[in-house]
Amino acid sequence: MAAGPALRELDSDGSSEELVLTPAQLLGGLEQESNLKRAKHGDLKVSIHRMEIERIRYVLSSYLRCRLAKIEKFFPHILEKEKSRAEGEPSILSPEEFAFAKEYMANTETYLKNMALKHMPPNLQKVDLLRLVPKPNLDAFVFLRVQERQENILVEPETDEQREYVIDLEEGSQHLIRYKTIAPLVASGAVQLI
Amino acid sequence: MHVRLMKETRFSKQCHNFVCPVNSTFLIFILNLILQGDLGPFNPGLPVEVPLWLAINLKQRQKCRLIPPEWMDAEKLEEIRDKERKEDTFTPMPNPYYMELTKLLLNYASDSIPKADEIRTLVKDTWDTRLAKLRLSADSFVRQQEAHAKLDNLTLMEINTTGTFLTQALDHMYKLRTNLQPGESAQSQDF
Repeated sequence: MAAGPALRELDSDGSSEELVLTPAQLLGGLEQESNLKRAKHGDLKVSIHRMEIERIRYVLSSYLRCRLAKIEKFFPHILEKEKSRAEGEPSILSPEEFAFAKEYMANTETYLKNMALKHMPPNLQKVDLLRLVPKPNLDAFVFLRVQERQENILVEPETDEQREYVIDLEEGSQHLIRYKTIAPLVASGAVQLI
Repeated sequence: MHVRLMKETRFSKQCHNFVCPVNSTFLIFILNLILQGDLGPFNPGLPVEVPLWLAINLKQRQKCRLIPPEWMDAEKLEEIRDKERKEDTFTPMPNPYYMELTKLLLNYASDSIPKADEIRTLVKDTWDTRLAKLRLSADSFVRQQEAHAKLDNLTLMEINTTGTFLTQALDHMYKLRTNLQPGESAQSQDF
């Protein structure tokens, strides 16, 4: 089962600010787990399997925690993205996560209304969460490892005196660069965040 | 953030290690793991390759003896340390998880590793040299306001010691720089 390297990819998700697609194969891994709950009396083997299941559970739950944290941080923008995505494109949220995001938004709005807004003068009772909540910072610097060789990636200058220049990304090399320039490569899997 | 550090050591456990079962009551033929597939057969006296977490666990139950990796040897590590001190850039390390492996193996299996203390000192020296180089190069990166850096021979553990701080500092600097001309590119949020 090719879950080993996939688990390593999960680890990289903690580095990015955006919400990346849920790999369906790992949710399948969770089901495999429940298959292995057979009660055998081969003591050592059972305990080793149990240990491995615990490890897998830890990875999956820390991945889920990371995604939930991102949802809580950027919920209006994520819901906006969901609304505006085209029909054929896959969703970046699983159905449960989508329900969670909507509920979180509704709860936040209710809370703000009951705590503060309804006591304000009538013309100030609206609040636009999309503008109030900070957007994910796509200009953040990230560390990455290259899986597939890429040519001619444009590096934008930081200061006015510098020129922009192109670099080639060799396979297996590691770099530190701004997220925005390599965002499409992350989505396609050509580089991996570390 | 040390949460990242913990995660990395957890994952370094995915790397394999040699295990030599010694106790004759320990006899499983094939162990089938979800991630690694089949492991085994485990015969007493014969070395078997298993993932690190399993090796440490079996050692703690006294079901096996650990065989150190071939780079964990005093002369080799001394060579590596000297090479690292000579070069200005980072030299490739024998294993991308050398720090975690050293720490874990020396904690749990120092009896099966010859010259354990020497090895500990050598690896620590190499680590210190590399971190000093990393601090210097991070400093020059920020000073010259570079946009990109290639860090090929750095291991994950080293990146994580300064990584979060460095990226946050760079982000702040970027925000300050791009807000020098307000109203054009800056997207400030009005209340």
